[in-house]
Amino acid sequence: MTITPIIGLEVHIELKTKSKMFCGCDAQHFHAQPNTHTCPVCLGLPGALPVPNKTACEWTIKLGLALGCSINEETFFERKNYFYPDLAKGYQITQLQKPFAINGHLTIDGHDIRINRAHQEEDTGKSIHVGDETLLDFNRSGVPLVEIVSEPDITSAGEAKIYLNKIQQIVRYLGVSDADIEKGSMRCEPTVNLYVDGKYYTPLVEIKNVASLTGVMNAINFEIDRQTKQFESDHVEKNSTNKTTRGWDADKNQTFLQREKEGSADYRYFPEPDIPPIVFTKDQIETIRATLPELPDQKIAKYKSLNLSDFDANLLAEDLVFSSIFDKVLNGSTDPEYAKFITNLLIGPLKTISLDIKKIKPDYFQKLFSRRSDLSSTIIKQLILESYQSDTDPLEIAKAKNLFQVSDTGAIEELAKQVITDNPKAVNDYKKNPLSIGFLVGQLMKVSGGSANPQLAKQLLEKLLS
Amino acid sequence: MSDLNKLTIKEAREGLLSKKFSSKELVVDCLSQIKKNASNLNTFVTVCEKESIKSAETADISKPLGGIPVAVKDNFLTLGIRTTASSKLLDKYIAQYDATVVAKLKSAGAIIIGKTNMDAWAHGSSTETSDFGPTKNPWDITRLPGGSSGGSAAAIAADEAIISVGSETAGSIRQPASWSGVVGFKPTYGRVSRYGIIAMKSSTDSPGPICKTVDDAAEVLGIISGHDPFDATSIDEVSWIKPSPLTSLKGIKLGLPLSYFSPQTKPEVKTTILAAAETLKKLGAEIIELSDVLDPKYSIAVYTILQRSEVSSNLARFDGIRYGHDRSYFSEEAKRRIMLGTYSLSAGYYDAYYLKAQKVRTLICQDFDKHFTRVDAMISPISPTTALPVGATKGQSMFGEIQDQLVEPSSIAGLAGISIPCGFDNNGLPIGLNIMAPQLREDIVYQIAKIFEDNTEYHLQRPNL
Repeated sequence: MTITPIIGLEVHIELKTKSKMFCGCDAQHFHAQPNTHTCPVCLGLPGALPVPNKTACEWTIKLGLALGCSINEETFFERKNYFYPDLAKGYQITQLQKPFAINGHLTIDGHDIRINRAHQEEDTGKSIHVGDETLLDFNRSGVPLVEIVSEPDITSAGEAKIYLNKIQQIVRYLGVSDADIEKGSMRCEPTVNLYVDGKYYTPLVEIKNVASLTGVMNAINFEIDRQTKQFESDHVEKNSTNKTTRGWDADKNQTFLQREKEGSADYRYFPEPDIPPIVFTKDQIETIRATLPELPDQKIAKYKSLNLSDFDANLLAEDLVFSSIFDKVLNGSTDPEYAKFITNLLIGPLKTISLDIKKIKPDYFQKLFSRRSDLSSTIIKQLILESYQSDTDPLEIAKAKNLFQVSDTGAIEELAKQVITDNPKAVNDYKKNPLSIGFLVGQLMKVSGGSANPQLAKQLLEKLLS
Repeated sequence: MSDLNKLTIKEAREGLLSKKFSSKELVVDCLSQIKKNASNLNTFVTVCEKESIKSAETADISKPLGGIPVAVKDNFLTLGIRTTASSKLLDKYIAQYDATVVAKLKSAGAIIIGKTNMDAWAHGSSTETSDFGPTKNPWDITRLPGGSSGGSAAAIAADEAIISVGSETAGSIRQPASWSGVVGFKPTYGRVSRYGIIAMKSSTDSPGPICKTVDDAAEVLGIISGHDPFDATSIDEVSWIKPSPLTSLKGIKLGLPLSYFSPQTKPEVKTTILAAAETLKKLGAEIIELSDVLDPKYSIAVYTILQRSEVSSNLARFDGIRYGHDRSYFSEEAKRRIMLGTYSLSAGYYDAYYLKAQKVRTLICQDFDKHFTRVDAMISPISPTTALPVGATKGQSMFGEIQDQLVEPSSIAGLAGISIPCGFDNNGLPIGLNIMAPQLREDIVYQIAKIFEDNTEYHLQRPNL
């Protein structure tokens, strides 16, 4: 049996707007006292009406543009009618027919994952089950969400992970959400089935309650395996009524059946009469496009053009703050040697502390670069860290501490002679094995306080001992 | 002084400002009139006796409606006051906030005297389908006041308040005003905020005043209108300002749509409306017969489909978890509408019903647009008949839709309109004149209504209670 997994992902991104989607309540609900961020609108009280949050709409368009989507100039909201205790109005305001953004894509390892749509909707409240009781918290009710729906172009759990990482990275670059899966500000629902022997499709399975990136991968892999075995035993193919929903149990590392016959759900969508159609003109859309930062893929391409390795380029582009610091230091330079030099400093000593971009001085890096032949790499690393922390010119520090490498043959020769006298055992070792010269060089560097040019030190030691 | 309850805004304000009487006396007279008629008329679901007297004691009469008692339809949320929409499902529901209209009335100094009866959830045109019993017509208590704002219209006709507010989705202000012989001003959709009014058919719900005179209605409309940031469908316009009245209608073209006089129209209604047209002609208007206006009967199906669809969704929030009662407390009519709307929105039927109805709605709007290039306003009967007897709605699930067919097209198109008293039938029951104008042309509606009222005396006649 040849198996090709077919995976589509629905991703919900909670926007970090100040206020909720349709009212003025504080949208920040994480760890807030239950039912404190509520009003008649998000409690769905009689007579209350939704008024759309303009920023949320603009952010959805922004995210759509970053995902390569076309933007519908005229959109409207719709009601999705269903009953659930934490759904205050008995319907969710969402978009079906005319989402803000359609037909985008993300490129993963050279191939495109098509994005069907990115639409705007409101979050529901939360049901909290305590023993036999269910408590309702409406703090989350009405928080703006963007739902990003991919086409089923993903073929492995690994690819799904890359796709999700990319979305997370883009969302964070745009600053529209924390996209934190553990906190629920990014949620993923994979739909998985299999293409068997180039002929058969297994029934669709939507997986819910996945609360981590590892969970997404494990759930997908579990489903691929489970569906393979299932198809071997029952040979049931996909049809319009046998889609099922399965929950993910992270403890048992398996999915379990939640709902059958998904195809029969009827949400009775119709245009939301409380909100007039929303129009964004071409100009307004272009204005939003102009606010897009350089996106991760563009950054990576730029870094690679500076001859940085794939690994370094990805590492630098990982988050917007870090890559912005890099770009600030790079300061438009196209010198691959300089790029590599600052990469080593940023990924090296500076990676361990949290950097404030405002305190970063590109000229400190440039000065160190220009004197790199007079300073050992260890010293350069120390100097960049110290200069950042004390906001002092690194060359001043080097001068004050006398850290410039001594390339004066006479001075180093004096030190070399001393090292030879002080280390008779090492000298003997060297005579038996010339490769052990490193120890003596090290000793020389030590007595010079790191200032000796190591190449010169080695040459002089070899000369004196020959 | 006695009978203060019979006053108009202007008269009441003059009396208050010249200290002839106090706001408390005004309120007390209204309360005693309410009490006197309570068993006969059943106009109120909740009477705010103590609260209104207390408010009257501290009323700021310098405000435009300072110390004036207002009767509020029971689908407007009123902070701290029971708000039921005349449904038993909400018989214990105390509103948590004020509807924008209520807040505006309060800040203009008005005093809420009580919450008026209506068809439960505004589903009807009789006020007979209230879960709190029918309201009776003050002109003949064996008859219905019309609806759904029947409590507000009857309260004004019976002088139980100085002013009232109601809401119209398709006739619910104008039709009870017509049957009860008072003035009902239905503003352009979006002119008055819907925030805090229990939603019926969200896409046409229009709150508006029901009063004793055209000027009172215009006064109240000025106060309750204006853009509301809490209602996304509210029009971005400042409050409406009543213009200075005209002395002649010279230059104004009034359309008389012949399709609004169907064979079912009661003969006295037809002759009365034609006589009103004649009066307006004498006042300077040019009357133009319009033979090709879309037959209003098409709006019945459009309204029915769209209304049921929106109702099925709007009433979903009363899910049995909150508000004290479960869904078994919905009356037959509400259940019927929820089921029909659920059906018309269902997959496979949506295109055939909801979408088609929306398309016909567009045609109705376009038809009005076309005719309003030729005339400034149109006049017609409000209702093909006058007040029908109590019991007329029994077994008639389409009662309202059929009764309201002459006001449904203009409601569906979101137009401005008014019903003013223009005569009586052979039984002495009031007949209302419907004046319809394009969106945001309340000024034309007002001018025609005002000059008609100034030159006739129908509005001065009161029922014998």
